[in-house]
Amino acid sequence: MDTGQQHRARMTTAWPWISTVARLGLAAVFLIAGGTKVSDLAASGRAVNAYRLMPYDAAKIVGAAQPFLEIALGLLLLVGLAVRLSAGIGAVLLVIFIAGIISAWARGLQIDCGCFSKGGELGAGQVPTYGWEILRDLGFLLLAGILLVKPRTRASVDGLLMGEQ
Amino acid sequence: MSKQGRDRSRARRIVEQQKAAERRRRITMWTTVVVVLVLVASGLTGWAVMANQSSKSAGKLTTPSVAVDDGTAFAVGTGPVVVDLYEDFMCPICHEFETQSGATIKQLVSANKVTVRYHPVAILDRASNGTEYSTRAAGAAAAAAEGGKFIEYHDVLYANQPEENSDGLTNAKLIDLGKSVGLTSTAFADAINNKTYDAWAGKCTDTFSARGYTGTPTIVVAGKQVTGPNGTLPTDAIFSAAVTAAAG
Repeated sequence: MDTGQQHRARMTTAWPWISTVARLGLAAVFLIAGGTKVSDLAASGRAVNAYRLMPYDAAKIVGAAQPFLEIALGLLLLVGLAVRLSAGIGAVLLVIFIAGIISAWARGLQIDCGCFSKGGELGAGQVPTYGWEILRDLGFLLLAGILLVKPRTRASVDGLLMGEQ
Repeated sequence: MSKQGRDRSRARRIVEQQKAAERRRRITMWTTVVVVLVLVASGLTGWAVMANQSSKSAGKLTTPSVAVDDGTAFAVGTGPVVVDLYEDFMCPICHEFETQSGATIKQLVSANKVTVRYHPVAILDRASNGTEYSTRAAGAAAAAAEGGKFIEYHDVLYANQPEENSDGLTNAKLIDLGKSVGLTSTAFADAINNKTYDAWAGKCTDTFSARGYTGTPTIVVAGKQVTGPNGTLPTDAIFSAAVTAAAG
């Protein structure tokens, strides 16, 4: 009779499903991002170096660690372990990536973001697509945000441990 | 139920709730620890894999004896203005630059106005279906330089440039192209088949990145990078003007 209450009840059942979709989506994002870079760590280091934010030797280390970190984070999200924490770390990474792209844009660098590729270098005449890259990352950030607020998901290790399923 | 009984069951409920909350806290703590450990371990794995790869390639490094600029380039000409060209043999814009300004460069070299230092780099290995054409071509160019025919081989590689995202030229084709410019020795063929200079191509690419360059072709005249408007390929006129300006 109270439609507000019914609505709330519906949302209570819906949220875990919405969060599950967000969790699997974000897992796919990190697994694909890491997977495309892991086969050539030198290229990944060059892509980080292209942002000109740190010395080359530091960029090489970041570029080598990053794909492994992304894959690990993707796997953690895939199985649903400590979802709120994993999503939080993912959100921090995304904010760093977005900041990097904005700074490259602001400095007028002509680079590929290297988000889903070893990227970095852009052929002469190729136009950077910073705006799209930022919008896309903001979309991923939204997925992470959903999980931060509503970390309970279906078919997760968290659920199993807590005895919810 | 008596008041006493109600109190007792309420107390039991509270204790159970507290136990459940305690259990959830413990689970959260341990999953947090696991997540942090997994992430730290994965980052360290990446670092270790990279360190291992670079020490392996450092062990295999053979620097061509004729290379200049810390062993990362081949010089053509002896003029006073130094032109550094960083090129990937797979890069179509490099081909475009060679088509557009190759004749100008040859003219400047023969007029003894410039020394051109060709830096073969391999940033487009991903564009040859895993055959790493950029690295193989750069290594083959080093072998050609050792055979005294760098520029001839450089030109014939661009004339026969494979499409991006194809398999690139085979090693046999690289050897054949060498023969067509007079590189007939077995040393040249062996260097290609044995990947003698592949680690060296990696070193050149590293040097290129360490200097802060990110794309090919990177054209540097007397220490200053030359581009067209908005980082595009400089036209032949812009390139020539930069050389003239550097000559003073």
